Amino acid sequence: MTASNLHKWASLPDPSPAELARAAEGDAQAFKLIVERYQGMVYSVAYNVLGNHTDAEDAAQEAFLRCYRKLPQFRSEATFSTWLFRLALTASVDYKRRERRHSEPVETPELAAEAAPQLGEGVDAATIVAALRDLPEDYRVPTVLRDVYGLPYQEIAEATGRPLGTVKVMVHRGRASLRLKLRAGGAGPEQGPAGARPRSDA
Amino acid sequence: MDCSYFRERINQYVDGEMDYMEVAELQAHLSFCPDCAAELAQVGEVRGALAAWGRLELAPPPGFAERVTAAVELEPALGAAKPFGQAVNETLQKLDDTLGRIPLPGGRTIPVKNVIGWGLAAAAVAIGLGRRHGRRSRELKPL
Repeated sequence: MTASNLHKWASLPDPSPAELARAAEGDAQAFKLIVERYQGMVYSVAYNVLGNHTDAEDAAQEAFLRCYRKLPQFRSEATFSTWLFRLALTASVDYKRRERRHSEPVETPELAAEAAPQLGEGVDAATIVAALRDLPEDYRVPTVLRDVYGLPYQEIAEATGRPLGTVKVMVHRGRASLRLKLRAGGAGPEQGPAGARPRSDA
Repeated sequence: MDCSYFRERINQYVDGEMDYMEVAELQAHLSFCPDCAAELAQVGEVRGALAAWGRLELAPPPGFAERVTAAVELEPALGAAKPFGQAVNETLQKLDDTLGRIPLPGGRTIPVKNVIGWGLAAAAVAIGLGRRHGRRSRELKPL
């Protein structure tokens, strides 16, 4: 598995240098344009890591605040979208670690009426949401980072603060659990996340 | 047949973490073990479904961008909290740009700010010595 989804996000058109410069100088309106362009990406990452809309919104907002603070240090060695994607992942994982004690069962989100994409044979978005929802949290985050976003194991270990071997075991168990749930056709809601829609470049 | 050895390695296989010999060994087993081959296919389906899920974009709640922008506007202005060293360097650089440099013999130049700095330092030393001398004079004055 390569970092396919990282490549996907990297294909988003970056803001122009002039737009980035204005935002880096503290122009709130210029920054708002960036938020409007990338909010779907950042929110999706946060939701997939955290599994509920309340936490996802908090973490996504934190990701954008970090982006705003660090924007003057952004160098164009990476594309802006890749850089922001990493910030979103880090902010979401940090949020999960920080709020672990307040951990609550993930929500059953609603699937937008116009979007019911098939993700495989007999697997739709609602099935995936239900299967991920039912995963133990210890398995969920590493599995999402590995198989939804294609991060290397070493990077997941560093982000989650867990040993490499432990992370691998969690992902393997997560996959095994998901395999059973998906074979059973999903164990949960008939509804998926609100507003889920395929990306135009997907 | 006890497939546990191979079952445990299916994840390593799909993660590309096996060497050539291990891959060959597993593939040989898969060629005649339909159960392990089915498990490998299922793991592949799970990973494919998760990757496809990751390509979906979720719509943030209404007003999300406005709330983020409002939070950003509460942030201290960018650049307001520069590290002290960076602020000093930038100020000195501006002074250089404003005051220019003095040419020296041999084609060398020296920043005007340096000359001013030395002048100020010399003045400070002179003032300090003058005060010290005045204090000693008072101390030695007979009552």
